Amino acid sequence: MSNALRPYLATVRATLTAALTLENFSSQVVERHNKPEVEAAKSLEVLLNPLVISRNENERVLIESSVNSVRLSIKIKQADEIERILCHKFTRFMMQRAESFVVLRRKPVAGYDISFLITNTHTETMLKHKVVDFIIEFMKEVDREISEMKLSLNARARVVAESYLTAVRD
Amino acid sequence: MSQLSPIICDNGTGFSKIGFAGNSDPSFVFPTAIATRGPAAQQSRAPAVPSKPGHLASKRGVEDLDFFIGDEALANAKTPGYGVHYPIRHGMIDNWDYMERYWEQTIFKYLRAEPEDHYFLLTEPPLNAPENREQTAEIFFESFNIKGLYIAVQAVLALAASWTSNRVTDRTLTGTVIDSGDGVTHVIPCAEGYVIGSAIKHIPIAGRDISQFVLNLMRERGEMASVPPEDQLRVAGKVKEQYSYVCQDIVREFRKYDQEPYKYFERYEGEHSVTGRKYGVDVGYERFLAPEIFFNPEIYSSDFLTPLSDTVDDVIQQSPIDVRRGLYKNIVLSGGSTMFQHFGNRLKRDLKVIVDRRLDASALASGSTQKSSGVEVDVISHKHQRYAVWFGGSLLASLPEFYQSCHTKAQYDEIGPSICRRYQIFGTAL
Amino acid sequence: MILLEAHNVIIQQTLTEKFVKAGSVDVKFVDYDGVRFRISTPEKKTKLLLSMHIRCWDELLNYGALEVLQREYGARLQATPEPDYNVSIEIDLESIPESQEERDAFIMSAALFKRNALAAPFELAFKEFKDLEAAESGKGNFMEVHYRDEEAIYIQASPDRVTVIFSTVFSDETDRIFGKVFLQEFVDARRLPAIQNAPQVLYSNREPPLEIRHVPGLRNSEDMGYVTFVLFPRHFSNPSVSAATISHIQLFRDYLHYHIKCSKAYMHSRMRHRVAEFQKVLNRARPEVAQTERKTISGKTMVSR
Repeated sequence: MSNALRPYLATVRATLTAALTLENFSSQVVERHNKPEVEAAKSLEVLLNPLVISRNENERVLIESSVNSVRLSIKIKQADEIERILCHKFTRFMMQRAESFVVLRRKPVAGYDISFLITNTHTETMLKHKVVDFIIEFMKEVDREISEMKLSLNARARVVAESYLTAVRD
Repeated sequence: MSQLSPIICDNGTGFSKIGFAGNSDPSFVFPTAIATRGPAAQQSRAPAVPSKPGHLASKRGVEDLDFFIGDEALANAKTPGYGVHYPIRHGMIDNWDYMERYWEQTIFKYLRAEPEDHYFLLTEPPLNAPENREQTAEIFFESFNIKGLYIAVQAVLALAASWTSNRVTDRTLTGTVIDSGDGVTHVIPCAEGYVIGSAIKHIPIAGRDISQFVLNLMRERGEMASVPPEDQLRVAGKVKEQYSYVCQDIVREFRKYDQEPYKYFERYEGEHSVTGRKYGVDVGYERFLAPEIFFNPEIYSSDFLTPLSDTVDDVIQQSPIDVRRGLYKNIVLSGGSTMFQHFGNRLKRDLKVIVDRRLDASALASGSTQKSSGVEVDVISHKHQRYAVWFGGSLLASLPEFYQSCHTKAQYDEIGPSICRRYQIFGTAL
Repeated sequence: MILLEAHNVIIQQTLTEKFVKAGSVDVKFVDYDGVRFRISTPEKKTKLLLSMHIRCWDELLNYGALEVLQREYGARLQATPEPDYNVSIEIDLESIPESQEERDAFIMSAALFKRNALAAPFELAFKEFKDLEAAESGKGNFMEVHYRDEEAIYIQASPDRVTVIFSTVFSDETDRIFGKVFLQEFVDARRLPAIQNAPQVLYSNREPPLEIRHVPGLRNSEDMGYVTFVLFPRHFSNPSVSAATISHIQLFRDYLHYHIKCSKAYMHSRMRHRVAEFQKVLNRARPEVAQTERKTISGKTMVSR
């Protein structure tokens, strides 16, 4: 797993660190407002080119940046139905708690499973390299968690079936 | 399939009351305790890992199903390998994993209900954070696939329970709720079904303190010599429940007891749990002294000195002025520690004295020109006080508007857990 | 708890209490599969009336439910049930057995009221099997029990086996996928040497199995699943084995759905743990704000609230 994973994560880390050069920028459209430009998407000159880093057609990372904010969307590997459902539940669970994860976005961008929104206030109050560490850690852990959940589900199913059939046999 | 009755689930810090709507008593009342594998002090948040192979439920994969709740949990507390946890602290859910498993076993083992076929009514303490409601809704809708959920504030349910008293003529959700359980007593004012959060007061005197006081009094008299030490608090509790009452005047009661001891002193017979040896204790002054600590806390300890009637008056005076009459008129009792005989009468009398004194003082201050028309003070007692919150839930869930006021699974799936932050108040005759 | 219990806890608890001390009671409660119960004391405190309402009562009648209940409860079975209910038994507290074990046995048999009623078609199938085995050909009655709104049990005896088919509905997509995993394991579990004697299990997702293709009104959609149990003679030849088999088979659908929900709860606890771990990693990103004590020139300290 880690053979293809390491360069993938290294690329994401490098790109994200480069993209996280954010500064405060008031809205040019509405006076006295300060919005994350990547979300508002009203003035085109402050938006930078979006970038897709993909490991294969099932796993991608989309990084859209602007002058004061970066949006990072991840498409997690889902090989079969079970993984799809587990991934959906897990990301939904996390997004439910988005307030405690300040950088998490409550809804994923269309076509992706989970999205993060990092603004200049976050980079000012938090250590940038640690935020990048968190995102990379998340990407590593989420794959592992989903495969562990799938294994535990199979183990449970086995025990459940065995217990029932043993009981019926006696 | 004809409509199956909704399930009412009142999870408190000490005990959980579970049952079906339409019944007058909960089907199950057991402690909110869960015994799981692993030591009690283990604070690890990771799901359980098997420690001992061989036991059916310790098979790899389903260790999390190896637990007991309620009375079985306390019974298994002594078995090595199991630790007892209390997932609810101060009325609010502390540990969601344990609570989810607790609910799971309640529904499938005790109630034997298929959650997909039922609506649920849960209770929450006042000033509960909306995030907790969302989390509860997440568990019930996503894990259990229930049909609909309604989360009600306990004080409002206690008010609904008071509608069965024959002294109540109109069904109103405005009133002061005095909820006294084992740990703490709350005085909660409610206006039109909404709790006035800023005026809530907590009194640190409740069932446990009264039992302790009974125990102290009996020890002083030397009654507890024949009772084994580990049973003493339990015996004191039983004595409190069986023989205590609230008197109107302590001095007169003392005189009555001294003049005719044989008429008033009672005897409690008990049996040692291990040896079976029988013992008996005399019960005397504690009969009326124990509940007296509500009205004269200084006889128990000097930590807290405000009598209950003063606290209730303070609470009502801190509420908005336009609801105060309604709050005085409808003081509702709920919880096991309010079950003492004549508790309602004594409270009403003491409170009326305070209120009248204030009205007279204001009449005097205005130069005797303006006199108030009087404030009616009434304390409502009814048969279902012990489980008033559960009973109120059972009443409300039997009303036809219940199903419309619930949030259904369809709504949850479409909009998300945020709809569960607010619940509609219904049931009053408008 | 892994296996579901066959008896109803509320019946057991209420009867135990009343046997000790008689009192009036009127409580309504339910059991799995939408069965409604009521225990009440309509005439006097010592006569308890336990009534049950099952959706498929008419079908059970056809399959001999009354005889089974007569056998279990004897004269206590009422000729006319309470209104709004299908069947009632009356328990007279003055005529209950004396010894504690007999009382407990009686309470347990009352708590198995639903199980006994639902056992009727199974017992009929086992009886037919014996006749067919002797005749060595033919097929038994095709019995349908619609015990839930959209789900049913189909039972048929053959000369060498008894086939029980469950149709079950998964209302939620998550349930459906979890259900598939579980049912696949049921099918595969026979490989293990320890349970080679267990009934054979077959599972299909949309298509109803051959034996019930002819039944009208079967829904052919993604959320329907069909599970076939093939019971061999060793599962019901001995009376006590047969009783245990019936108790367990009846609760199959409830057992399956119970475990699906438990797995979802388990997933939740895993996710909570994982989210807490992530939170910890994210909190490392916040730098520690040093709490310095600030003093003015004249020595007064600032206190921040």
